[in-house]
Amino acid sequence: MNETSSLQGADGVPRPGGTTAAAGLLRALLKGPLPLYLPAALFLLAFFIVPLGYVVVMSLTEPRPGLGNFTALLGSRHFLMVLLQTLQTAALVTVCALLLGYPLAYVAAGPARRLGGVLLGVIALSFWTSFLVRTYAWMVIFGRQGPLSHWLASLGWRPPPSLLFTSTGATVAMTHAMVPFMVMAVYAVMKRIDERYVRAAQSLGAHPLRAFALVYLPLSLPGVVNGCTLVFITTLGFYVMPVLLGSPNQQMISGVIGDQIEQVLDFGAASAMSVILLLVVLALFWLYHRFVGLDRLWSR
Amino acid sequence: MSDRESKFELSRRHFLGASLAGTAVAALPPFMRKAQADDNVLYVNTWGGNWEKAAQEFLFAPFTHDTGIQIRTVSPISFAKLATQARSGQYEFDVTTLGLAEIARANAANLIKPAQGNIDESKLWPGAVYANGVATHAFANLIAYHKNSFPNGHPHNWADFWDLQTFPGSRSLQRYPVRVLAFALMADGVPPEQLFPYDLDRAFAALDRIKPAIRVWWTQGPQSQQLLRDTEVDMIGIWNDYATNIQESSEQPVEVIWDQALIDKSCWVVAKGTPRAHNAWRLIESIAHNAEGMAKFCAVDESGPLNPEAFAHMDAKSAANAPTNQAHLSKAVVLDGVALLPQLDEIAARFDRWISS
Repeated sequence: MNETSSLQGADGVPRPGGTTAAAGLLRALLKGPLPLYLPAALFLLAFFIVPLGYVVVMSLTEPRPGLGNFTALLGSRHFLMVLLQTLQTAALVTVCALLLGYPLAYVAAGPARRLGGVLLGVIALSFWTSFLVRTYAWMVIFGRQGPLSHWLASLGWRPPPSLLFTSTGATVAMTHAMVPFMVMAVYAVMKRIDERYVRAAQSLGAHPLRAFALVYLPLSLPGVVNGCTLVFITTLGFYVMPVLLGSPNQQMISGVIGDQIEQVLDFGAASAMSVILLLVVLALFWLYHRFVGLDRLWSR
Repeated sequence: MSDRESKFELSRRHFLGASLAGTAVAALPPFMRKAQADDNVLYVNTWGGNWEKAAQEFLFAPFTHDTGIQIRTVSPISFAKLATQARSGQYEFDVTTLGLAEIARANAANLIKPAQGNIDESKLWPGAVYANGVATHAFANLIAYHKNSFPNGHPHNWADFWDLQTFPGSRSLQRYPVRVLAFALMADGVPPEQLFPYDLDRAFAALDRIKPAIRVWWTQGPQSQQLLRDTEVDMIGIWNDYATNIQESSEQPVEVIWDQALIDKSCWVVAKGTPRAHNAWRLIESIAHNAEGMAKFCAVDESGPLNPEAFAHMDAKSAANAPTNQAHLSKAVVLDGVALLPQLDEIAARFDRWISS
């Protein structure tokens, strides 16, 4: 742990504070004024840690004690397919959100302040719109009688394809939901890039594209890593959009977990799936921490 | 109408959950009293909303009027509570209604009182008593389709619903395995009298054929209505009242197929062990004999009365739409929960594996 934290951050700058997050956390906990964090700590303990522990216990005890749920799941081709599909979808959403979000953030962080403000405002507005409302909006847009179908039909695509209840539709909607996260993460980094670096590169004869690729892009990479981590991990656990918009034949893992509880009442299997999903996410966090540092996700 | 929502799934969840729920008994709300004889009050489990209002007005009020026994309601209907209270001895309700698959399960698990000696079967219509419950009204699961989607001839039955060559187009069915398997077997040509218990291999082989055309499995009643109204699917397996409502209100012409409709019934039962069992049976008896009240209740609930005398009290439109009128019933198939009992667990588990693979 100690070596990891003395590694350099992805932007090549040595990170301040030589101690690890864990040790630092412990010290801060002991040193800090106890009552200040106690309410939050108790709240998290009662409503997050304990229930989570209960899920872990159920995965190991329902219907009978042992690792039966886990061996059954890891031996099930179907479950592994769902897991793989979920990872693929999350990766696809991450790439799409990056392709859409990076240029957006670039313009928003650029010299045109008014345009930047408008862009950030639009993104915030979409971000603040209720998740469920956005999901239903996509249902209307993708529906067979929806505007997208009419538009495609008027372009001569007959019969027009319907994206509702397809994994493409769900992916588009999830990308839409995730773009604001990506923009915020990338924007925060870009805003701190000193524009003089790029100008210096250009004044030394670099083509603007070359200056961007060799100077600006590497400087913005920490934001890209943050954004991708955030989007990828959030997408892994998406429930509402894939269930309401996606194809019944290509479910994501949270939908399958929901079915286990609502349709099959297999609490043990559902808990075990949740634990596996949690382990995947923790593994990703660990990788992130190993190479970037977990504190980076929050500090900027 | 909430009467039919994922009833079997609910019951299963709660049945399996009952062992868990047992541990939660200590935390029961204060209004759940210990078992004690209470001569003047009966507690009835209802679906709430319009269902409860109609039941209060047309089924419970006449009973209170005749006997002086007050009816208190507890909602929503919960198989879990039925199972839990039999175990804990604390009765939140004395009477509830169950569907045909649920009642078979409740009866086998010894959760309800025997009807024998508590109700005079000979004074009721044939088939009124089923698995120790009294079946008083019913709804149908049937096919509705958009006429414009099938310009070259119309579908007539489940075989046509399954026939993707002759009737191409998207479909939707309720995510409710016990019913879906019946549709699949009828589509595959199994005659109604040989339907129960199910030939599971045959049913799932038939399901494989239709899977690509099922755009969505609906789980909530209103969702099915929306799918049909918005022409999101061309053909759908749907509840009869929702189908006729859309038929009347839709801009697009919608047709309803009564052939091979699958009937599920609501059965009144008495919770096993309740100290108010005697009065509970008197209530059920009163409901069963109250033909006029049942007719009015069914008009609100948009279900069909099973007491043949009720039709004398129904207006022409309600009677024509009732899934239990002779014209509809003669073409329909009635779900046989008792025959399916040994298969219920396997049906649920296998269907779930099938649907997500």
